[in-house]
Amino acid sequence: MLDFFTIFSKGGIVLWCFQGAGVTESFTGPVNALIRSVILQERSGNNSFTHESLSLKYKLDNEFELIFVVGFQKILTLTYVDKFIDDVQLHFRDRYKNELDKKGALKLLNNNFEFEDDFKILLREAEESGKARSPVTMRSFKESEKSQKTVKSMIETKGGDKGKEQGGKKTKNTKKDAEPVKGDQGRTSSSGQKMVENGNQGLTPEEAMQKKREEFFRRRVGPTEKNSKSPKPSQKPRGKQMRVWDMGGSSTKDLDYSERNGDGSTNGGEQNQEAQTEGIQLRSMEGDLLPVDYDSSEEEDMEEEEEKVVAGEIPKPGSKKGSSFGGMFGMLKGLVGSKSLTRDDMESALDKMRDHLIAKNVAADIASQLCDSVAKKLEGKVMGTFTTVTSTVKQALQDSLVQILQPKRRVDILRDVMEAQSQRRPFVITFCGVNGVGKSTNLAKISFWLIENGFTVLIAACDTFRAGAVEQLRTHQRRLNSLHPPEQHRGRPVVQLYEKGYGKDAAGIAMEAIAYARNQGFDVVLVDTAGRMQDNAPLMTALAKLIAVNMPDLVLFVGEALVGNEAVDQLVKFNQALADHSMSDKPRLIDGIVLTKFDTIDDKVGAAISMTYITGQPIVFVGTGQTYNDLRSLNARAVVSALMKA
Amino acid sequence: MGEKADVQMAQNPFEPYVESLRQQLEEQDPVFLIGVVVALAVVIITFVFLKYFLTSKTVRSAVLLVGLCDSGKTLLFSRLLSGKFKRTQTSITDSSAPYKAKNDRGSTWTLIDLPGHDSLRPQYLEKFKSAARAIVFVVDSAIFQKEVRDVAEFLYNLLTDPVISRNTPAVLVACNKQDVTMAKSAKLIQQQLEKELNTLRVTRSAALSSQDGSVGRSLYLGRKGKDFEFSQLPLKVEFLECSARGSKGEEGDADVEKLERSLAKL
Repeated sequence: MLDFFTIFSKGGIVLWCFQGAGVTESFTGPVNALIRSVILQERSGNNSFTHESLSLKYKLDNEFELIFVVGFQKILTLTYVDKFIDDVQLHFRDRYKNELDKKGALKLLNNNFEFEDDFKILLREAEESGKARSPVTMRSFKESEKSQKTVKSMIETKGGDKGKEQGGKKTKNTKKDAEPVKGDQGRTSSSGQKMVENGNQGLTPEEAMQKKREEFFRRRVGPTEKNSKSPKPSQKPRGKQMRVWDMGGSSTKDLDYSERNGDGSTNGGEQNQEAQTEGIQLRSMEGDLLPVDYDSSEEEDMEEEEEKVVAGEIPKPGSKKGSSFGGMFGMLKGLVGSKSLTRDDMESALDKMRDHLIAKNVAADIASQLCDSVAKKLEGKVMGTFTTVTSTVKQALQDSLVQILQPKRRVDILRDVMEAQSQRRPFVITFCGVNGVGKSTNLAKISFWLIENGFTVLIAACDTFRAGAVEQLRTHQRRLNSLHPPEQHRGRPVVQLYEKGYGKDAAGIAMEAIAYARNQGFDVVLVDTAGRMQDNAPLMTALAKLIAVNMPDLVLFVGEALVGNEAVDQLVKFNQALADHSMSDKPRLIDGIVLTKFDTIDDKVGAAISMTYITGQPIVFVGTGQTYNDLRSLNARAVVSALMKA
Repeated sequence: MGEKADVQMAQNPFEPYVESLRQQLEEQDPVFLIGVVVALAVVIITFVFLKYFLTSKTVRSAVLLVGLCDSGKTLLFSRLLSGKFKRTQTSITDSSAPYKAKNDRGSTWTLIDLPGHDSLRPQYLEKFKSAARAIVFVVDSAIFQKEVRDVAEFLYNLLTDPVISRNTPAVLVACNKQDVTMAKSAKLIQQQLEKELNTLRVTRSAALSSQDGSVGRSLYLGRKGKDFEFSQLPLKVEFLECSARGSKGEEGDADVEKLERSLAKL
């Protein structure tokens, strides 16, 4: 059933592999895809991954730095795979513990891991346990409990019987019960004579019928029947009585409270009731006003958590301080020596880290996914001497953050522009994003940078909606041309604006602009689009059409650094829209991110992490102000150190 | 006579001090004196020890295997150490092992295989670059044309790194996968890289500075005004061909003799 199973070290050497019968394709490709998309992008929270027609499950062994991967066809649902991987891991570790313990990679190269037989045994066991259990045979009458009971104990009294039956009828909640009752009655009358061999020898067939019926009702109606049994069944048969409202009198005079305000006696009861209902509201407004959307339940939960955390922490220092000598040694033993990490050890440290990340403006579910992934990476790892759990977790988190921020492909715009120049076509960059993030401003900054490096730029004004968008770009163009006059650049203006006014189709303007640039020999085309909310379906369709039709070289998503959890939603929906509306099977998604307004946040730089984690694309530019010089590139180490700072 | 008197006068100022010192020393308990002497000796020995240790740390004894993802570093690692063929996957951590060079001196170095994936490369290089005695830059010769810009960028980063340009380890560019028919020769790869680095050094020095103000490498490769050539560098860069898989497939030996010879010359 399995397509393949591999065991390889984190350094890349395959220790042992198994290929299922009849499988000819090599598994190197899918496993590499698994490594690159899941483990390296810190998405190892969930341990399954699909690649084309294969479904892959994996397990990390952090003590010996091994990875176990199993692959099977996606359409099969094998239930035994998780447990099987665990079994194989334990078996492999136990068997080869000595070889794996030695340091250095030579052990992996020189040893032949003959795991074939053990693996086959384990696989057979797993497959057998996974097979569906045979249907349980019905118990024969002799085995059932009923045969042991005496007949007398099963007879119920007539009165109780009738009451229960009526109770069953009256507490019908749904109309559905009415029909089975009728059906039952119809059936029982016709086949009444047949019901002889029921085992209820002491009862007449009718009584047996009734008993069976109310058993059936009991099972159908369920727990409500039990509640309704408590009120006496004799109360039920009564005509329908007119409902009397407490506060509603028969005349309007009762509603006139103007004279009664002074009285206390007659309406004492009512006023007390009022006072009671209002009294609950009276004391709740004491003190400061509660903030908007404040859930008191949330606060209780937080308080409970804090208490738990405090309670959890108190015993530990207590145990250290209490038995001084033994406690001291215990603490030292915790620091020195090889202790392998378990989930529980890391739990508190991870929670603290998660809260810290959220406080630094990382989106909440990304912070929790990151912490899960770090936990997976550290589980079972043997800590070195004199390292605490917190420091190990912190170091691992720092490494994963740096890894996320490192671009996964080469980011060198100038080189790519030169490449396009040599191919005699313009390099097209498209800017998209929600309203007000700084697309036009950063477009101007980027064109300034390109001009400084000797390229000519054409700005395509595809924002045909917002009032003043074209004029804004024209002002930028004039300013840039005055900073770099044409005389210095071979007599032609370095920046030109291609615009067709307002209200026209953006995709058409972009296509014409690119054709114009190709004819006139411009090096770069910067396409400015209108800001749009990610939920606005028609606008997202329009954007997707613009990108699909014009096939730009670089699609940049402009996001501001102030955004919090919204970043996740924006990017996911933008990518989704681009993927859905493109005609080809390899849709153009977002290729890079421009992070703007970076000067407004001091060290709450979490938005950078959220955006790179969601898309997997690098941050190409960072905008740090409103003048032309405020354009930077991302320094992963500086951002991570600002993030981890306390 | 006057000079003799002058010399004696010069000696005289020291005389009383030396005399008083000698008197004081003789007055002291001999055990105390021995203690002082021993303490001084210990301090001097510690200094010598520390110096020895510090200098031995800077003796770089690591040979790094670097390169882009899928260029064959891990297989090369396996072949150099044990000669066996092993299936490999993308590495996510480094692997290291002692390597005995095939020369008369029998020197041993640590062969370290670094992961090539883009997101892991910088941090592992950061960790190991100061200990590098030689860097083997593995290039996939079969798909070199498509990857030339990425290879050049990595090589550029390597050559302009301040630590590496200070330590000047030997750089061996191993053009791997020569068993594939479409593989480019080492000479061709060298020419292509020189052309690419020529353009890169212009674009990279014009790149944007980081957001915290730190400017990128300001080291200019080669000589200004002239086309870039590897011979212009203070580092020794050597190009050679090898094939980790070997021409006979998995069973046969790898064709890594040239690499082994170069490593022996280190």
